[in-house]
Amino acid sequence: MAVVQIDNLVPGMTLKRNVTDRSGRMLLPEGATLDTKHFAIFRMWGVLEVEVAGESEPEPDEPQQGGEVDPELLAKASVEVRRIFAYNDPEHPAIRELTRICIKRKAAHEA
Amino acid sequence: MKHSRHISVEQMVQDVSTIHSLPMFYSQLSEAIDHPRSSIADIAKIISEDLGLTARILKLANSPLFGYFSKIETITQAVTIIGVLQVRDLALALSVMDVFSGIPESMVNMEQFWRHSLATGLTARLVATSQREASLERFFVAGILHDVGRLVMYIRVPELALELLERCRSTGELLYRAERDLFGFDHADVGGALLRRWKIPARVAQPVERHHLSQMAEQYPREASILHFADIVAHALQIGNSGEQLVPELDSAVWERLSVSCHYLPTLVQQVDSTFNDTVQVLFRSDASA
Repeated sequence: MAVVQIDNLVPGMTLKRNVTDRSGRMLLPEGATLDTKHFAIFRMWGVLEVEVAGESEPEPDEPQQGGEVDPELLAKASVEVRRIFAYNDPEHPAIRELTRICIKRKAAHEA
Repeated sequence: MKHSRHISVEQMVQDVSTIHSLPMFYSQLSEAIDHPRSSIADIAKIISEDLGLTARILKLANSPLFGYFSKIETITQAVTIIGVLQVRDLALALSVMDVFSGIPESMVNMEQFWRHSLATGLTARLVATSQREASLERFFVAGILHDVGRLVMYIRVPELALELLERCRSTGELLYRAERDLFGFDHADVGGALLRRWKIPARVAQPVERHHLSQMAEQYPREASILHFADIVAHALQIGNSGEQLVPELDSAVWERLSVSCHYLPTLVQQVDSTFNDTVQVLFRSDASA
């Protein structure tokens, strides 16, 4: 059981819990098998994360895109981004996520 | 609190608010909007008198960012479809950009300054959209205006402002903290005071005034929180430059209150990146001549 961000969902996953939009309207019931068409619907209704069965902690962050970016650029970007974030708590979830995005973005820009 | 240089927020904005005043047209527009008997046609007429502005409002309203359903071809349509107050907010955002010119390049690169402001405005608007807020243009305009206090400082106390910039460059301090240290207040306070003098509604002025102290925005806490966060994202993405070199500190209480999911952040950044350049083109088109 895990909460998976919509970008990391893969067709074939099984829902652990009903997916609802913000106002609680049901979009897809638990037990349904996800397919790509559902992802579009989730996006349309502003669903950001869903709970799926069976998955262990999802850590598929770097594998898909990390391969394309030069690790050296990534390291350089990382130093720079961490420098500008000096006054923020690196353990804060929002800052951690923002730092991660910025490092990837910066490295991709310089590639 | 020690005020090493004796100048108050009010003194700071006193002359600036009269020399760098909003175009007459904005006060005419506000008056017409507030007048109970004016019609949409009256309001549209006032806007249409400024051709450059009209063109930019229409372009902006038709840009993908705004995503209104039908094509907007006239100001009357814009006023009807987008709403009177929203059009006024857009007009405000666009006309303020023309007010401040002639600040020496050594102090601030105006294009970079407005790029940062615009990135903040776009981010604030996108976050507000995801939060299902109404009247999105006030978030956009608050973002555009959030650092005007800094421009006031550059005009009013250029030596001190330059000193601050250099000090932060060498010590790695946060600029808004150094401002507080030197003056006893920061650019957000100055911006708020200027906007109040310009008689900009509090729903825009207060978030601007409190974007570094969002917990103290009594009337408009949500707006101030969204602006606070949008400023941080704009700094993190390093789009443009307002003078501040580092990312301001995120207030974790503000983050809690916003109830934005971390999983939304990649989407947010992607949306900012994809709309930013289009919006720059619309807004800066006439800047080359200004």
